[in-house]
Amino acid sequence: MIWPALKVSLLVVGVATVVTAALGLALAFLLARRDFRGKELLDAVLTMPLVLPPTVTGYYLIVLLGRRGLLGAPLYRWTGWTLTFTWQAAVVAATVVALPLMLKTSRAAIESVEPKYEQASYTLGKGELETFLRVTLPLARRGVLAGIVLSAARALGEFGATLMIAGNIPGRTQTLPLAIFEAVMSGDDRRARLLALILTLVSVTAVYLTNRLSRAAGARAA
Amino acid sequence: MTAAGLQVRIRQRLPGGRQDGGAADDFTLDVSFETRAGINILFGPSGAGKTTTLRAIAGLTTPDEGRIAHGARVLFDSAARINLAAQARRVGFVFQDSALFPHLTAAQNVAYAVARADARAKTARVNELLALFHVEHAARRRPRELSGGEQQRVALARALAARPDVLLLDEPLSAVDAPTRTLLLDEIDAAQRAAPIPFLYVTHNHAEAMRLGAHLILLHAGRVVQQGRPLDVFNAPQGALAVRAVGTENLFAGRVIEQRPGDGVTVVELAGARLEAAYNALPIGTHVTVGVRAEDIIIARARLTDTSARNVLAGTIKQIILTPEQTELIVDCGIELKVSITAGTLAALDLHEGSAVFLLIKARAVHLVT
Repeated sequence: MIWPALKVSLLVVGVATVVTAALGLALAFLLARRDFRGKELLDAVLTMPLVLPPTVTGYYLIVLLGRRGLLGAPLYRWTGWTLTFTWQAAVVAATVVALPLMLKTSRAAIESVEPKYEQASYTLGKGELETFLRVTLPLARRGVLAGIVLSAARALGEFGATLMIAGNIPGRTQTLPLAIFEAVMSGDDRRARLLALILTLVSVTAVYLTNRLSRAAGARAA
Repeated sequence: MTAAGLQVRIRQRLPGGRQDGGAADDFTLDVSFETRAGINILFGPSGAGKTTTLRAIAGLTTPDEGRIAHGARVLFDSAARINLAAQARRVGFVFQDSALFPHLTAAQNVAYAVARADARAKTARVNELLALFHVEHAARRRPRELSGGEQQRVALARALAARPDVLLLDEPLSAVDAPTRTLLLDEIDAAQRAAPIPFLYVTHNHAEAMRLGAHLILLHAGRVVQQGRPLDVFNAPQGALAVRAVGTENLFAGRVIEQRPGDGVTVVELAGARLEAAYNALPIGTHVTVGVRAEDIIIARARLTDTSARNVLAGTIKQIILTPEQTELIVDCGIELKVSITAGTLAALDLHEGSAVFLLIKARAVHLVT
């Protein structure tokens, strides 16, 4: 009863972390280095899941992506597929709640890279993508890595929004936090303890790694 | 690659409190000039708009209006709505503080700029460029393990590695110590001859301008106030703005006549005076330009004997020039020297035209330029 939940969690966290990292980096670059209308509004909307109760975030996801949702309804009409109660829904939930952490951390890391390095790269004939990948990203890498670790930890712990849009189907959408909830509800204390221990270890490791990465980044910048 | 000139005509309004700490008021840059073959000097006091001009040419800032072209190639034209991105301009830039990528070694920094080629050709090109600036030994070091001079040498190699059509240099030697500066000036000169593309070199250092420049563009408060050969501009600034932009440097032609390394002194002879300069290993007989800043000269009414100043010259005040910003004396002591003092000194020492005075100049304040 532990392995299925662990497998679902690993799949969801793995995919969500990759998506969060890629999306978060692209958005962080836009927010750090570009000026456009509604920039701070976009930042605020993307940061909302950090402060909203996860069940509210989950509710909005249903409104948006559910079978009768704003985007979910046309999707269902065209493909006959709906996101709700699939493992992909758990990925979406985990991504949405983890994204603010990735965004905040890597935006700060990118902003701390002095623009002169990027400008030097441009005057050497290198375009924006090449400059970002070969100059900005390596210089911001510690902050970016810290963002990825934090996002993965947040994705692993995601509960409320996942329950709302992906449900609690053992072996399909039941992640570790959902399995703990079920174990406690059904009075299986031993299983709950074991699961709680696993999640605690992972979280402590994540915080430790993040701290080390940001300390090293700070020492390098000084 | 041709020796075509760079044509620059830009207007840019900058809001108050600019990055280089100039005047807090709004500032309008309005310059128009054309470079000649060789090294062009963009000269002027800080806040004159030199760096902003360079950044506009490189495409790092966008002027409000104007046109920038290199030969027939238009880089920017507000009327025709042309504004090439910095990466498409083929305009190289050497930054004041090198801006080497801190995560790459010196060799990797140069290799970054070399166009795609097979590994062997690339390595050969990197080594050739590092050798041109005498930094082969530093190839595997990171920027923070390099001295200021080494950093700028690698930055020069990197800028040329991209094979630009024009090279812009923004006070590249301001953080480099004096002996290294002399060597680097030679290397920059040699690099330009080897390239051979126009260089546009920003400085407010007279010696650098004289050493490198074939053509000097004098900037003051965002306007071009004079152009010409550096020595001509420095010695005969036209109009009050040009005088202010040039600063008060006394310049003379001279010749090394004696070397006293033991005393740390090099003696130069000018038409009408001898001056001791800080030791400089130039062969005797070398023709040099001798520079003394008007601010570096001390004036006294009586002859001082126990002084560390190596040069004590007797003379008479020929003229007193009073402007709201400064008081300047022209003193005839065999040579004519401009001396800058405060208004209070004039009264305290009771100085008048015709007064007999002594001028004290430290050897360190006598700059020799070959």
